[in-house]
Amino acid sequence: MSQSEAVIEIRNLSKVYRDFWGRPKVRALNALSLDIKKGEVFGLLGPNGSGKTTTLKLLLGLLFPTEGEIKILGKSAADVSKNERIGYLPEESYLYRFLNAYETLDFYGRLFNMSAAQRKERSEKLLDLVKLAPQSRRRQLKEYSKGMTRRIGVAQALINDPDLVMLDEPTSGLDPLGNRDMKDLILDLKAQGKTVLMCSHLLADVQDVCDRIAILYGGELKVMGRVDELLKAQDETQIRSSKLSEAAEKEIQDVLKRHGATNVKVDQPTASLEDLFLKTVQESRERPGHRNVTDHQSVS
Amino acid sequence: MYFDPNEYLLNPFISFLNWVVVVGALTFVVLFVSMLNLLTTKGMSGIGIFFDELGGMAADLFQLSPRRIWALTRLTYTEAIRRKALAVFVVFGLLFMFAGWFMGDSKEIKPDQVKVYISFVLTAISWLTLPVVLLLCCFGIPEDIRLRSIHTVVTKPARRVEIVLGRMIGIWLIGCLVLTVMAIVGHFWIVRQIPADSQPLLTCRVPVYGTEMEFLDREGNSARSGVNVGDIWIFRSYIEGATKARARWRFIKVDESVLDSDGNLNFENSFSAFRSYKGDMTRPLFYDIKLYNPEKNLAYTTDPQPVNEFRHKLDKIPRKVTVDDVQYDILKDFVTANKDLLIEVSCIDREQYIGMARSDLFIRMPDRPFWMGYWKAILGISLTLLLITMIGVSASTMVKGPIAAVLTFVIYFLSLKDNHQFMDQLVFGQVQGGGFLESVYRLVMHLGPSAELPANPAFAVIQFFDWLLNNFLWLCRHVIPYSQYFNMPEFVANGFDVPLDTSIIPSLLVTSAFIIPCVVMGYFALRIRELESK
Amino acid sequence: MTNMTSQQRKLVYLIGIVVLLIPIIWLSLPSDGKDAPGGVLSQLRSQYELGEADLGDVDASSAAMNFALLGMRGMAVNVLWKDLDQQKDTKRWAEMQATTESIVRLQPHFEKVWDFNGWNLAYNTSAEWDAVPDRYYWVKQGAKFLKRGVERNKRSTELYYRTGKVIQHKVGYADESADYRKFFVSDPDPVFKNGPDPVVNPEAKDNFLVGREWFEAACVRELARPQHILDRSLFRSTPARCLFDYAQALQKEGKFGEETRAAWDHARKDWTESYGRETFHALIGPEESDIMLEMTAEEIKQQAGTPDDELRVRKAVDAYQKMTNYRYWRTRALAEAEPEMSEAHRFVFDAKQAYKAQEFDNARTAAFKGMEGFDKILKRDEYSSLTDEDILCEECLLGWKIWDDIYQVSGDKIPEEFPLKWLLQMKSDNSQIMGNVNKQFKRLFLDNK
Repeated sequence: MSQSEAVIEIRNLSKVYRDFWGRPKVRALNALSLDIKKGEVFGLLGPNGSGKTTTLKLLLGLLFPTEGEIKILGKSAADVSKNERIGYLPEESYLYRFLNAYETLDFYGRLFNMSAAQRKERSEKLLDLVKLAPQSRRRQLKEYSKGMTRRIGVAQALINDPDLVMLDEPTSGLDPLGNRDMKDLILDLKAQGKTVLMCSHLLADVQDVCDRIAILYGGELKVMGRVDELLKAQDETQIRSSKLSEAAEKEIQDVLKRHGATNVKVDQPTASLEDLFLKTVQESRERPGHRNVTDHQSVS
Repeated sequence: MYFDPNEYLLNPFISFLNWVVVVGALTFVVLFVSMLNLLTTKGMSGIGIFFDELGGMAADLFQLSPRRIWALTRLTYTEAIRRKALAVFVVFGLLFMFAGWFMGDSKEIKPDQVKVYISFVLTAISWLTLPVVLLLCCFGIPEDIRLRSIHTVVTKPARRVEIVLGRMIGIWLIGCLVLTVMAIVGHFWIVRQIPADSQPLLTCRVPVYGTEMEFLDREGNSARSGVNVGDIWIFRSYIEGATKARARWRFIKVDESVLDSDGNLNFENSFSAFRSYKGDMTRPLFYDIKLYNPEKNLAYTTDPQPVNEFRHKLDKIPRKVTVDDVQYDILKDFVTANKDLLIEVSCIDREQYIGMARSDLFIRMPDRPFWMGYWKAILGISLTLLLITMIGVSASTMVKGPIAAVLTFVIYFLSLKDNHQFMDQLVFGQVQGGGFLESVYRLVMHLGPSAELPANPAFAVIQFFDWLLNNFLWLCRHVIPYSQYFNMPEFVANGFDVPLDTSIIPSLLVTSAFIIPCVVMGYFALRIRELESK
Repeated sequence: MTNMTSQQRKLVYLIGIVVLLIPIIWLSLPSDGKDAPGGVLSQLRSQYELGEADLGDVDASSAAMNFALLGMRGMAVNVLWKDLDQQKDTKRWAEMQATTESIVRLQPHFEKVWDFNGWNLAYNTSAEWDAVPDRYYWVKQGAKFLKRGVERNKRSTELYYRTGKVIQHKVGYADESADYRKFFVSDPDPVFKNGPDPVVNPEAKDNFLVGREWFEAACVRELARPQHILDRSLFRSTPARCLFDYAQALQKEGKFGEETRAAWDHARKDWTESYGRETFHALIGPEESDIMLEMTAEEIKQQAGTPDDELRVRKAVDAYQKMTNYRYWRTRALAEAEPEMSEAHRFVFDAKQAYKAQEFDNARTAAFKGMEGFDKILKRDEYSSLTDEDILCEECLLGWKIWDDIYQVSGDKIPEEFPLKWLLQMKSDNSQIMGNVNKQFKRLFLDNK
């Protein structure tokens, strides 16, 4: 990965939610600093309420930071013009339920000032891309299943062919097939050189597609680094391959044993990130304030 | 005619000045409230945010995109239609199916009952479209925020002002659609309800009013008004018969255009008769009209004409009149060098009185068709809807739907003529019985409005709070629109065309005065607001 | 509560609703004929005859409107009353009538509402208009309005009375009554083709006779439901008094023949044989007794029992007779049935006509004959009490006034003695009577001009 400019720069970002009387209620985010570079797929991880969505909303200007600075595509978060190059898929697809798929995409296309011809072409392309069945494209969204809503949600996020795509829980509510499609789509976006910021608590997804991840807990950054490096830190090696015959597995085990490997297990890959995640959460509970960030980037 | 169109007469320059003041004041109030809001929530840094936002707003104004606004308009429109806003037509249909129940018998229709029919239709239409618009505009944005669908909009390049504008336009269009359909139905209903022989009553008279009116008392001296015959309603003033008492009008800019196609000058009046003794009741009271030109010392007096009370009485004066066997031309000989025409009315019967107000005598120009005035009235209603939409949408950017709806309705309610007048009286201390707390006290203690209150500290407190409330009301009074200018239906119901100068232009001005402050307020509120609130 | 799931909570609400509904349903069970009397509410309703249909004709629109307003009727009505008042002040009559219409739809069984608004139309609105046919139109609107009130409230004694009152009094005794009475049988509105307005006068009768029918109906209702307008003895005299009104009106219009005498005779019979024989429960001192206005000495004795009681009953009868002016009307009717009396009336009437026509000699002769006739009758013992009543005295003195005036104007010497001189002396201090006579005389003079 080439060392290119940061698409998102977050410095010391904090967010405090207040109650009706203006008294601080929850500190949702505490002094977060991170950079996201052009062309990478960055995953924000964390249990529910850890501040992932808050971060995303702060980046989008839906919430206003209590402290800290945000630069996104070189502009401030409050600057609406940055949205020209951003695509956003909300946590649940908060779309207008009385519109059908075409109307939805047409509507969002208009918000990007696209011409009628552009909108039409782009809609068809995206609906094909997200694999929304043609017979359901004329139905109002209120009749859609969760998976279908998710697909149209992705389509609207990509209507403007954005440089930066922010996905909030992209795979939630999708069946395994849809899950696969979504991951392929993200990798495809990466291949096109787009920057993707996603947050999720489904670790397997993140592990599969993300270049780098950050784990948030209680509004604080706990772990950040390249996925492979973070996992490498563990004293284990994992071999993955397409499904082998039993004979072949046996043979490999023998080879490994010959090289002095102990505790050899050959099976489907485990969600090893899950282990890291659980460990981080566990540690955070035991040792608040601890931080394991492998690639420190100018933390102010 | 029983309402006074001159009440609404405006001086163009002063009204423009007023307009500027009102717009400025409203905008100032809006910005001031916004800053206070920021100060209380954000502390001193609020001031910085305020000016940042102001700058951002200004910058945004140059980025407005008609296509985006139109997209949001269409969204609002589709939403309303798909959420069954048009169900209001069911109520409308029911109302008109059973309207006969409320209207009485249309077989024996009298001239002023036509007014009741027209009023009914126009009132029904405006009161039915009102809740539709009110609900749509007050619940649209809060619902959008609650369902967070607004997240997908504001994360696009859509400016928040575009959301406000799109909502306003979309809802107004819906309102206009509903209004148009109802108006068409209403139009046919009126025409169908009025029996064939009463159809000529459906017309739009075009009056030219005198600009000045003065009275002469019974000795012939100039007087500010005539005699009050003991009416509670001081609209009309009376002149005594067979004395030197007169009522005089001055019509300005009189030229050929005031004559009808046959060259007659048509005076229409709605004088009222008052008898100090009954006398011969079968004989009406009589008046005459004198045209006079002091420059040429010339006068022409009509034959005595009977008063036709509570109806319209038309007097045709031919263009060529004969005075002392010499023929004169009304326009050439009676209109003065300044193009003024002077008219004098006297009462003939001794010890009897004829009552008149300035608008009771006018030159009647050729009538316009009924539909013309009717649709102008509909235009008036649509302007009211626009006003409500603007207020409602901007209110809904700050508070939740139900509160916005109540707020908007209260503002609308207070803007109605009678209510606004009552508010004015309260503000200027013309209401007997004191302010809010004082009158509550009087009610509870069964004290009349003029009863003296004992002087003790408790009342000082009561009066102090009333004073505070009154000052608050004084502020509100300047912000609440005068919807008395949206009085087009009244003109049409009274059989008049809707005049440009006293109705259409003022109402357009009032509406436009609210556009900028409302948009600014709505925009500002959306900008400084985190769209996350539950 | 907090531990419940939303479903459990809904269930609790549902149970609560059902539990609360049970007593309501039980209370308001409808009755289905005679076997089941229904719930408490419907029993009470039938006991007090409060069912919509018991009260009068059912008006679906009014019921629907009240239903649609839910509990907001009071507020709506308040606004309407305020509007009504304003419309009345600013003379917007058609709108006022429309508002009235809305009010009665919301308060169809509030009798005072019908009473007030009917009165308003007949007396106040009509007086605001200048032309007599216009005035009559509004009087008629008032009567029609009250009539509708009666139809909606069939058991209302007072509304029957009010309707009768407008037809008898407003039509019959207003300043414009001469025209109104004509219009009552021949409406000025061309729609009715010279006939009466069938709503107020379907059978083209005299207004006093129509008024009498309403009063009679009111008296029938009064037996079931007391009224609070007049003392009962006066209230029940109204139908009979209409007959006197009728007979007097005939005279006023110059009809002195058999028709008028028959009217007087009919009036007298009704007065003495029907009204006079009605029983009233009189409260005299601490005791009560049943009396009639027309009682023979024998009957009084029977009613009383003891001589003390006899005196008391006699006093009661006397008091009631005074209150209702009973004896005057009895005597008057008797006198009016005399041919001399009607002759005298006719002479005075002729004198008035002649005076208007400026035939002064004829007028003086006729007036004198009238004076002679009245003189003769009033001097008779049985009719001497007639001088207690103003209207008749005014008529007599108007005759004298005409006679006297012609002497004054012509410069002839007024005879020292003349008929009715004693009456003039007796009444010359009574400014009420003399004022009325002068006013009537002045009107002759003005009409003349």
